[in-house]
Amino acid sequence: MFASKRLSKELSKLHDKLPPGITLIKADDFTEWLMDIRVIDSNPLYQDEVYRLKFVFSQTYPIEAPEVVFVKDEDHPIPWHPHVYSNGIICLDLLDRQGWSPVHNVESVCVSLQSMLTSNTKQERPPGDEHFVKHNKQRPKDINFVFHDNQV
Amino acid sequence: MKVTIKEWNAVAAWRWDMPDDDVCGICRNPYDSTCSKCKFPGDECPLLLGECNHTFHMHCIFSWLRQESSQEKCPMCRQPFKSKSQEAPAQGTQAQDPDTTATPA
Repeated sequence: MFASKRLSKELSKLHDKLPPGITLIKADDFTEWLMDIRVIDSNPLYQDEVYRLKFVFSQTYPIEAPEVVFVKDEDHPIPWHPHVYSNGIICLDLLDRQGWSPVHNVESVCVSLQSMLTSNTKQERPPGDEHFVKHNKQRPKDINFVFHDNQV
Repeated sequence: MKVTIKEWNAVAAWRWDMPDDDVCGICRNPYDSTCSKCKFPGDECPLLLGECNHTFHMHCIFSWLRQESSQEKCPMCRQPFKSKSQEAPAQGTQAQDPDTTATPA
């Protein structure tokens, strides 16, 4: 109930107005939403591409962070980034247990990810991507990421 | 002419002393409304002001602080969240009065 009340508020705000480059795709219930993000500034890495984000909310959202991953399909690739694994899992302190704060919301997470991409210049995956993608069975929020750097 | 008032009814409204359109950052409900779990605003669902001057519904900030991952920090500024004690200003005025200033033992 905690989550649904807060999410219904967020939803009506998202229907009303969204920041440029961010689109609400699907929010049929209060457990899983899809959002699309696009990099607005000209960055050759992300030109003409749209990325799809899946948000999964627990009952205790926003006390607990949502699980946020990029999803891949025919029209939506996984963006290049040294903190984004090729299976769509994102390593961002904001989404981690230690970095989340309940004042964040779906919109602020989208904007943060958008700016994370905007400022990136490296066409890279995180170190150990291949091994991680092959062997990881954990849910993103249970993974203990080691934050290698705070530069990107 | 003499008027005798036989009966009168008074009506009062209350609100928290907070900016009009402000909402609790955790539940996004107005401060004058309740947290997401309560039905009646007021004493049953009070606000809590932190030393950092950030305010939340008491129930909202408590459910956050109970989480280990909160590290007992304010969701807004990430400083350690301590509720601003109501007695703090009173102590301040006492200190100005030499007669009541306590001397440390």
